[in-house]
Amino acid sequence: MFFLHNLERRVTLHPSYFGRNMHELVTTKLVKDVEGTISADYFIIAIMDTFDVSEGRILPGSGMAEFTVKYRAVVWRPFKGEVVDAYVLSINPHGFFARLGPIRIFVSAYMMPPDVVYDGNATPPQFTNNADVVIEPGTPIRARVVGLRNEVGEMWAIGTIKGDFLGAFEP
Amino acid sequence: MGKTVRLGNRLRYPITVVKLLKSPGDKIQGQEAVFEYSYKWKEDIRGNTWDKEQTTCVNWNSPSEGELKSWAIKEGQVIERDGPCMVVEEACSHEVQFNGLCAMCGKDLTTINWAAESRDTDRATISMVHDQTNLTVSESHARKTEEKLQRRLLESRRLSLVVDLDQTVIQACIDPTVGEWMKDPTNPNYDAVKDIKTFQLDDGPNMWARRCWYYIKMRPGLEEFLKRMATMYEMHVYTMGTRAYAQNVAHQIDPDKKLFGDRVISRDENGSVHTKRLQRLFPVSTNMVVIIDDRSDVWPHNRPNLIKVSPYEFFKGIGDINASFLPKRQDLLTSSATTNGVAKKKPTAGATAARAASEGEVTQEQLEEQADALMKQIQERPLQALQEKLDREDEEAEKATVVSEDGSVSRSSSPSSARHRVLYDDDEELRFLEDHLTKVHKEFYKAYDKQAAQRENHWVFNSEIPDVGHILDNLKSQVLKDHKIALSGVLPQNVDIYRSDIGMQLMSFGAELRASVTRDLTHLVVNAAQPGKEKLRAARALPNVKIVDLGWLAECFLKWEAADETPFLYKIRHEGDDLRLPPGATSDVSDEEDIANGANGPKTPANKKRPGLRLTATTRDDVDTDGGEDIENLLPDDIEDGQMSPIDGLKGFNWGSADAELDEFLADLSSDDEDEDMDEEDDDDDDEYIQKQEESSSSEDQKPKRRSRSRTASPSRRSASPANKKRKHDANEDGADVTGTDSERSESGSPSKKLRRTKSARGSSLRNQFVASADDAAVNSSSLPTPAVTGDEEDVALLKGGDDEEEDDGWDEAALEAEFEAGFAAAEEQLEQENNASIAAGGDQEKG
Repeated sequence: MFFLHNLERRVTLHPSYFGRNMHELVTTKLVKDVEGTISADYFIIAIMDTFDVSEGRILPGSGMAEFTVKYRAVVWRPFKGEVVDAYVLSINPHGFFARLGPIRIFVSAYMMPPDVVYDGNATPPQFTNNADVVIEPGTPIRARVVGLRNEVGEMWAIGTIKGDFLGAFEP
Repeated sequence: MGKTVRLGNRLRYPITVVKLLKSPGDKIQGQEAVFEYSYKWKEDIRGNTWDKEQTTCVNWNSPSEGELKSWAIKEGQVIERDGPCMVVEEACSHEVQFNGLCAMCGKDLTTINWAAESRDTDRATISMVHDQTNLTVSESHARKTEEKLQRRLLESRRLSLVVDLDQTVIQACIDPTVGEWMKDPTNPNYDAVKDIKTFQLDDGPNMWARRCWYYIKMRPGLEEFLKRMATMYEMHVYTMGTRAYAQNVAHQIDPDKKLFGDRVISRDENGSVHTKRLQRLFPVSTNMVVIIDDRSDVWPHNRPNLIKVSPYEFFKGIGDINASFLPKRQDLLTSSATTNGVAKKKPTAGATAARAASEGEVTQEQLEEQADALMKQIQERPLQALQEKLDREDEEAEKATVVSEDGSVSRSSSPSSARHRVLYDDDEELRFLEDHLTKVHKEFYKAYDKQAAQRENHWVFNSEIPDVGHILDNLKSQVLKDHKIALSGVLPQNVDIYRSDIGMQLMSFGAELRASVTRDLTHLVVNAAQPGKEKLRAARALPNVKIVDLGWLAECFLKWEAADETPFLYKIRHEGDDLRLPPGATSDVSDEEDIANGANGPKTPANKKRPGLRLTATTRDDVDTDGGEDIENLLPDDIEDGQMSPIDGLKGFNWGSADAELDEFLADLSSDDEDEDMDEEDDDDDDEYIQKQEESSSSEDQKPKRRSRSRTASPSRRSASPANKKRKHDANEDGADVTGTDSERSESGSPSKKLRRTKSARGSSLRNQFVASADDAAVNSSSLPTPAVTGDEEDVALLKGGDDEEEDDGWDEAALEAEFEAGFAAAEEQLEQENNASIAAGGDQEKG
């Protein structure tokens, strides 16, 4: 799910940048540092604007200036139980991986409707119920997130396509 | 069926169950209290235990969650030690996990459960997916998955084929010269390089390798080969290159993903940069998996399943660009002949080290080395250098021809097209490989159908599926069966040939590998570049040994048949020449041998196994040329001219009378010994034994075998003894061969038979016979064809009997055994040989 989130970050600036357009530089540096990273359990997608840049304080010893910047950013955070759309990346006998924005979600064979089974003879291998459902690399998938875990800079998810309106769909 | 939960080791036993808090059917949360127990303890204050015992009541928390099925304990029970406590039907068995998340229920399994003794993440430890390492499954799940796979393959009558990329089906290089040649139709190499595939990778380790072009040359006929194989095999790519490289190459050779699909595994997912393991993909059963790879040393655990192909060397001297992390290969058979020696000085370059850097196993040094090698290839352009060198040679040759033939040579008319080229596209490995793979496939399903036919409803259990490794072994072991092969100059001195790559390969093809030149040897494989002199010389003395160069081996390995040796016969050159037999000498002896053959050689229609017999002449010859070889100075002077055997005088000898004499003597001796002996019972037994032996021998006297033992073979066999000694020296010079050879030693027993008369030599003769018999036994038990002279076995049998009687077991058996086990130290053996020889000579002189 996407949010507009108010965040705060300390940005340091090298003395050589001290000057008239310092605040602009601070914003630029902030964007460079923060956009596209994962912090705690959400991804910072884009920075909308900075609404408060504090006075710079010289850090003793290094001469760098430190600014406390308050900014507004679009963040994305998956939730357990959330229904998401993803593209299938790869198939293996245990399930398939799908790309869910910046993270990978794994849907195991246990998390599929019982009639959808692995077919290794097909090229490329696929999950199929031998009727309308064919899941192969590239297929768009609607899945429900059932498990999430994140470590520094990384996040993984487990999904299920067992349920109404879940599974392969036409976008 | 539920999971049995145990109490755990951490409790203070004995404990008393006070109260069960849950009853069967209840839901249990993880770490929830399920029963109360009490235990007794004594207060301990600063090391002093108080006498007063205290009782404490505690809750026991469940390590697992689910539904309680039944209790294994009851209230009031006193429990002494760890044991089962309850059965829980678990909500989820967490058998498939993705990065610490259960893929079956979505639970985060990395959270620490203080009630459990093992972590939940340990339930699934097997990684068996091609493109992921963080998707793990439990053993039972792996088994299930693999059974499904096998069923599926059996239904479509296919097998799995694991294909290596570099130098097996393709060769890659990053030398920009190739790119230039591809664009230049006038280049002599243009024809060879024009269908090379290229791609660019952006993960090079430094600025030189960044965004460099990879040139991929497919082995000739690859496309058809793979297409045909796909009908019989489900194919996987298993390479030591990086993921990006592997995928790009797979895309080049299989653009529609019809052949390999996504079954591509690379160094990044392998888990090791040194070895490949089939268990990484097939953790339970490798019964239906065949590997094709150009290196066998990277498959230390799966050799039976491996079909080793000869490395594809199109870009001369480049080698395998992804092999930087692997140990240097030692098994180059053919390429050394064709690479103009560049392979040695040319460093192999690793393509993409940056990704590998994330693996802990790769050291910084290796990375730098790889980057260096890579840079060198781009900067130095080894191919260009090679071509220039060739061109220069061409020019010189041209000049020469022009001078000599007045410019009329056709070559000078169109110099550009006739320029020699570096690259030749003449590899035909895949043709044979296809045959082999087809054969393996056929054999497997033959065996499988046989199994299925025995079953009702043709269902073969997974455990009964035939092992393709065995089938492969059987097929291969027929190839060089009955070949006894020694290597010369192929491996470094300090390498154990039986563990070397080439040695293991030879043995897998059914050849018997010999450390030294023995008289039953059939082939000596010589490295033409640096032949080992001693073995060569020894082998030349044996006319039945075919001396071939490495090309012959390569041919055998390629075609899986004993190739014709003629084109590969090692050309005898320089210093070795004088060691060859003078033609006269050979014919001289062969007469004698023919007689011997006719008389006692029914077992061996060809004289293949009897080369020892003809050595009389050669030996003398050798002694002549080498001088100084006759250390003991045992050979009479008058044979120096090489025309007369030392036992020539015996040719007219009446052997019948000699044997009679011997029998008489033996009888005498046994009675003598009775006096000396302490253990009379034993002695009697022996006497009986001997008598039986003699009876049987006389009754079977008509058999040629029998006769060979006692009479006809004698002269020739005795004549072999000086030869023995001589060859022993040869072998000893070789350094590694001190252990000597079966046949030689077993034969060394035969002269000593005669020598039993000389009482002085008793001790040593016994030892010799012991050695002989032990060796013979070893030979027989290992079911090798008897290498020694026909009739030797029986000789030995008799010798044993006769000896027992004669020496009367006065020798402590234990002592003998100890001696046997001491491994016949080299010095001892030398002594024996000398003893033998001197005795033989003495015997001869006595006789003559």
